[in-house]
Amino acid sequence: MAVASASSGYMQRPSSGYLQRPGGGTLADVVDIILDKGLVIDAYVRVSLIGIEILTIDARIVIASVDTYLRFAEAVNRLDLKASDEAQGLPELMESVTSGAARSKTRGALEGVKEKLTGGDDEREETPSRTRRRSRSRKDEDE
Amino acid sequence: MTDADGAIYVYGVIAGSDRTDIESAGVGSSDTPVRRVASDGVAALVSDIPRGPLAAARDLRAHWRVLEEAAAETTVLPVQFGTVMESEEAVRDSLLAPNAERLEALLDALADKVQLTVKGFYDEEQLLREIVNEAPAVARMRERTQRLPEAASYYDRIRLGELVSAEVDRRRARDAELVLGRLEPLAAAAKAEPVTGKDGAFAAAFLVPRQGIDDFSRAVKGLADELSDRIRIRYVGPLPPYSFADDEAVGAGTWA
Repeated sequence: MAVASASSGYMQRPSSGYLQRPGGGTLADVVDIILDKGLVIDAYVRVSLIGIEILTIDARIVIASVDTYLRFAEAVNRLDLKASDEAQGLPELMESVTSGAARSKTRGALEGVKEKLTGGDDEREETPSRTRRRSRSRKDEDE
Repeated sequence: MTDADGAIYVYGVIAGSDRTDIESAGVGSSDTPVRRVASDGVAALVSDIPRGPLAAARDLRAHWRVLEEAAAETTVLPVQFGTVMESEEAVRDSLLAPNAERLEALLDALADKVQLTVKGFYDEEQLLREIVNEAPAVARMRERTQRLPEAASYYDRIRLGELVSAEVDRRRARDAELVLGRLEPLAAAAKAEPVTGKDGAFAAAFLVPRQGIDDFSRAVKGLADELSDRIRIRYVGPLPPYSFADDEAVGAGTWA
């Protein structure tokens, strides 16, 4: 497979078509994969770490509170188990089963952050070579 | 290049003999060139960083692209996103020179290997159905809270949520164990990572020799097929070894 060979092969989509190109990763992927990872240079030696706080909000939605429990309870109580018996085995693509107050609050905050992040990203445009790559990642992000 | 007001953004470390050129723009603006600063057999990929605020998402992408481009050509040790040093001298004298031996050892260990990241996601509704069907305590508490008016069932609903949450955690642990057990033997190293989002099932990073990518991908595909009725798998790579470079902070050499 092309990927296994060095240099240019690295950039090609593997023949299986299953492995996702990192450049095509969503912002959430990028955040997950690189935030807080990598070689750490000691605080006495470096000057600063930039941009961490805002991203941390998006990456660390901690699920361990009364709100979470109530949300779970609500979601479980809303399940239509009869329908589930009939639908068993069918993949369901419902976006969400809840709409409680706690959840909408969380969502609002999240979307605000996301918007900010995406807004920043869109400011950059740019050289022809990158435009090609960008259009590809856009497509993937839309999925 | 270094002026008194400027600072230096550090992307990663490569071998000193490595002449890899980076065309991708650095953080800060779309035309920031990335260059190398070398000392004692190791080199850092760096760029000048402008004054003023940075756009987190744009710069995260820039950091990502620079390292992706470097990793396509060579072995690179990613430095944590957002790392800024005072000057080129500081990069040489505080990062590279005092840590050269250790950085070279890390580069050797990562040579010809890539990171592959595997994440699993539940369909929440389906997961909750599974839990109600399989955990009698949850089913009982669910019936109880459904009989009571909302105001009277507050504590019962919290208890129900706790039970559900514990069941979700148990399934996460079980599924992570299954996936790691299956994929770890195919990797040089593996790291379980915290799941993100309410629908996250598991997340793990694997360090895989380049020639082993095909076998690894087949194993992931097999797992994805096997779990497809419960879990959607997201498989991203090849990546620079972000998760395999951070065993200990590097400093000015006092204890490194």
